[in-house]
Amino acid sequence: MQFIDSTNFERLLKKLSGEGELFVPVTEEDTGKLHIERVDAFPLPDGMSLEGYRTVETLKGFAQLLRSTVAEYPAEELDELEAGENAPSFIIVGARACDIAAMGLVDKVQIEGDFEDPFYRIRREKMFTIAADCTDCGESCFCNLVGRKPWPEKGYDLTVSKVDAGYLVEAGSERGEKVISENGDLFTAPRDGQEKSRDEARMKVVAKLKENNKDFPDAAKMTEPLREALTEGLWEEESARCVECGACTNICPTCYCFLLFDIADGEKFRRVMSWDSCQVTGYARMAGMGNPRPRLSDRVKHRYYHKYDYLPLSHGEIFCTGCGRCIDTCSAGIDMRAVFRNVMSKAAK
Amino acid sequence: MKNPYYPIDTVVEDVITETPTIKTFVLKPVRPIKFKAGQFMQLTVPGVGEAPFTPSSDPNITERMEITILRTGKVTEALHDLGPGAKVGLRGPFGKGYPLDKLVGKDVLVVGGGVGLAPMRALLYALFADPSKYKKIVIKFGAREPAELSFRRQYDEWRGLAGNISLQTTIDVPHPDWTGHVGLVTTLLEKGKLEGIDISDGFALSCGPEIMLKFVTLKLLEIGYKPPQIYLSMNRKMSCGMGKCGRCNVGHYYLCVDGPDMCYDKIKHVPNVFG
Repeated sequence: MQFIDSTNFERLLKKLSGEGELFVPVTEEDTGKLHIERVDAFPLPDGMSLEGYRTVETLKGFAQLLRSTVAEYPAEELDELEAGENAPSFIIVGARACDIAAMGLVDKVQIEGDFEDPFYRIRREKMFTIAADCTDCGESCFCNLVGRKPWPEKGYDLTVSKVDAGYLVEAGSERGEKVISENGDLFTAPRDGQEKSRDEARMKVVAKLKENNKDFPDAAKMTEPLREALTEGLWEEESARCVECGACTNICPTCYCFLLFDIADGEKFRRVMSWDSCQVTGYARMAGMGNPRPRLSDRVKHRYYHKYDYLPLSHGEIFCTGCGRCIDTCSAGIDMRAVFRNVMSKAAK
Repeated sequence: MKNPYYPIDTVVEDVITETPTIKTFVLKPVRPIKFKAGQFMQLTVPGVGEAPFTPSSDPNITERMEITILRTGKVTEALHDLGPGAKVGLRGPFGKGYPLDKLVGKDVLVVGGGVGLAPMRALLYALFADPSKYKKIVIKFGAREPAELSFRRQYDEWRGLAGNISLQTTIDVPHPDWTGHVGLVTTLLEKGKLEGIDISDGFALSCGPEIMLKFVTLKLLEIGYKPPQIYLSMNRKMSCGMGKCGRCNVGHYYLCVDGPDMCYDKIKHVPNVFG
């Protein structure tokens, strides 16, 4: 563990910015919320902050673009991949535990297994993440309900915890260790009590999360009622207010579903990969109009099953990190935690 | 490194009209494609799009591939307008394919309906490579009317390949040109019509419209097949073919990597499994 003061931290970021595009969390004046912004020049923007909790935006768009060309026809097969390899790297500062963990989950789908998506992998390898502890939590944050903590434990290159007028720093990868060793003059040994003060700050956030979410059950408890089909009838009620906008899946850091489609251009065509949402009608509709989930309630139900039953079965983990963005973004006011509670109460009947 | 989204350049060599709505496309990819019966390909019509199909040709032939396609949506309509010389693209193969190893030494019941006969033909070619490896091969094909039975020019040849092969067809409703069996394909699955196959030591494999799969499954269960003995070729919308795009799930399985031929035992608990 190392300590870096704020001035030296900015020096470090300036140095790293020579190796790729630098992104930092910046506070929006009106709302106080953090947004990911690119730093094009130093000094760092006034509103940059590593305090508070996660940004409005997720990290998934760095690795899986909202929309991208994955093949051009006719063409050499390697062109698009080479374009990806030549793209700049990203240094992402202030990523929180929920988002770091979410990328690890999406990696399981997009990289691990029999096939890998090379576009995703290339962009993923270009991400250098400097994670940060949450020093607070939002009303919608519920990482404690999915068995996670408001500070990152793995999956980052460096992680920082605010103490005194600087940060405690730990490396979580070889690349992270290399950055510390190559910039040894910017770091000092932690002073007595700094680690203790970090741990105390962490426990305060944990306590606040527990208090905020005291009326909601642990998500892990949902698996059995879902698997045992004890929730029939619930989804009509849960979906009654849903307007099928797909915001929850777009803003979700672990929702990875996409659609491939072709765009003609004379004799040529481009194959485009675009984010998609399982909440919209046409998502699973087949030629001939067959649709395994024709009703909105089927699709809302599917979202919960996918995250809390199917993916734990196929990939070993709940695909929700408790970031709460789906709660913030839902124009109908659907709260995932309340759904947990309703699942449990339905199952108890 | 290979780009998994880029299709292999392929030329349409021939188009065979099977039925008023089904055509078989004889495809020649620029490099051979090795596949197992039941695995599927993503077929690109340049500028129109891509759709998943299971080849209907002999898996032992890799230089050419035949795909038998019902005209039913945007991509298939564009395909049906193509003739010899047209350029298309192929990605794949994807999926697991039929459990051929499990069928060795067993009675094999093959039930196909409508365009579902297409993947079944690849399975039959694989079985016919050495029919003596199986106890009996009992084939039941159904279609709405006589003209909609794909591959009917080959039925007599198949029947004559070996003594343990039988093939029976049916049409859904009476037709003036038809003297054979009339009734849904499930009516060929009554116990007395199964050539004395040993249900307790066999497997049943089926492909067809979802509603047919549902009633075939119910009938198979009724006559004594257990869920682990039943394999169904399931249909869902597919996009990537590699278990990444998220849409072809049946329960927690993705058909593109775990299927599309699924053991019924694995999916029987899924609500509305047949849509």
